Amino acid sequence: MKFIYSFQSEWLKKRRSLAAWLVVIGAFFTPTIILLVRLKNYQALPKLNSAEDFWIKLWFTNWESMTILLLPMGIILAVALITQIEYKNNSWKQLHTTPQGFSVIFFAKFTVILVMLIELFGLFNLGIYLSAVLPSLILSDIPFPTAPIPFSQFFTGNLNFFIECLPILALQYLISLQFKNFLVPIGFGFAIWALGIGMTSWEYSFALPYNQAVMDFLRNSGNLKREISVNLPLLAFIYFAIITFASYILYLTKREKG
Amino acid sequence: MYCIETINLNYQFSENEKVLNNINLQVSEGSIYGFLGPNGAGKTTTLKLILGLLKKQKGEIMIFGQTFLKNRIEILSNIGSMIETPSIYSHLTARENLQVLQKVYRCSKDRIAEVLELVGLANTGNKKAGNFSLGMKQRLAIAIALLHSPKLLILDEPTNGLDPNGILEIRELLKKLAHLQGITILISSHLLSEIEKLVTHIGIINYGNLLFQGTLPDLINKQKLSSFIQFSTSDNQKALEIFEKNNISILSINEKISIQILDKSKIARINEQLVLNRIDVYEIQTVKSDLEQIFFDVIKD
Repeated sequence: MKFIYSFQSEWLKKRRSLAAWLVVIGAFFTPTIILLVRLKNYQALPKLNSAEDFWIKLWFTNWESMTILLLPMGIILAVALITQIEYKNNSWKQLHTTPQGFSVIFFAKFTVILVMLIELFGLFNLGIYLSAVLPSLILSDIPFPTAPIPFSQFFTGNLNFFIECLPILALQYLISLQFKNFLVPIGFGFAIWALGIGMTSWEYSFALPYNQAVMDFLRNSGNLKREISVNLPLLAFIYFAIITFASYILYLTKREKG
Repeated sequence: MYCIETINLNYQFSENEKVLNNINLQVSEGSIYGFLGPNGAGKTTTLKLILGLLKKQKGEIMIFGQTFLKNRIEILSNIGSMIETPSIYSHLTARENLQVLQKVYRCSKDRIAEVLELVGLANTGNKKAGNFSLGMKQRLAIAIALLHSPKLLILDEPTNGLDPNGILEIRELLKKLAHLQGITILISSHLLSEIEKLVTHIGIINYGNLLFQGTLPDLINKQKLSSFIQFSTSDNQKALEIFEKNNISILSINEKISIQILDKSKIARINEQLVLNRIDVYEIQTVKSDLEQIFFDVIKD
């Protein structure tokens, strides 16, 4: 019960914050661009919408920029912004003098970020759907997509990308809790992300903690010429568990808590 | 039983930087304890240790008669605090700030309106706390500290940066709280004049050492002891012989002779003797140290 109240309190803090807006903007950014492109090329839509693989193609088009750029960048920014709420307002000391265990505080805040990520995935999927059907609602002569939505494939894909994002989230949380300066987690995250993107051609680039989602996308979209024999979601989950544990210990043992 | 008791509390940030040295703070229940010291004396470090914001190194901290570390959550549920600058979520309104804490303390929602009324912020509506004046932010921070009806209030320099009117407002509010609700208050400041009209007890800290601890009357007594009488005469040497003949302690001699405090009749008799011995008495003056001077004397020693 204590955790629920703590979570509710943390959830309230992000009201009207930049982090809250980032989820909405990040989720609808790519689908909006795709929607505008589809509306611009409306003559091609009847043919595209009647294709058997319509949804799969749309899915990969949407996820391309998401896995490579928007998702890692969004997570890096959102995690830093959530922890900055406390730093910016000098409120760590207030939070740490409330009658809550340090573990509750740590995991309540962490859960808020996780729920925000789920929210982002939900809205992004809604965005994908809207980018598919809105042209047919706006323009009368455009038929709705005829192929059935491959729900099971989308669900698995979402779940895998979600798990593959968790190491980014955990490591950014660790760094953001340790450094007051907003630029440290942002700079660190950007550097690791750039390193990962720059090394995608390397045989073992899947092992870099920020690269699982990108490699998974490249593999599944047929853009990777080599085989990856590793279970990427499992590898990501192992990273996530180790980094979260390290983050928790570092937070607990921090000498000054405010 | 003390509300707060620290036993030989020591703290150092590094091996060569000792911040607290055997601090034995004793805050009685129901008291308003003024914790005084210049900037960097160790006040905030002591308060942070009491609240568990710093990891204790050496010594004991007892709050409500319980060891802090073993009963942290229970103890904190009865403490309201404000350390250094107010901790306020600037993107939220006053009410929303309190809602954030109300969830954690699980107190009644009605308390939000009560404490906002108490600190005079009931009509701030949708104004974000970031747009509040410093005085309003301080009052909101006090409202946050009071939300769960704590037994103990720990305030670190709550009047810092406020104008005289703001200082007066906060002082009156704290007085009201102490008298009406019987809350024990530990308040730190670097200016005695700011809190002398508020506190019942005083602790003076400097360079990490607790130099004085007692009631306000104890400090006033110290003030009396440090008062003296000055004589300005035409012949100080001859005057000294007369003072010694009358067993009067001489405190210092320069252009004027400073002696211990005497009652009025004795001053008159001494003056009479000086005049009879053809010594002109130009001035007799009682020099009283004010409390602020005592504070500076204590931290100077």
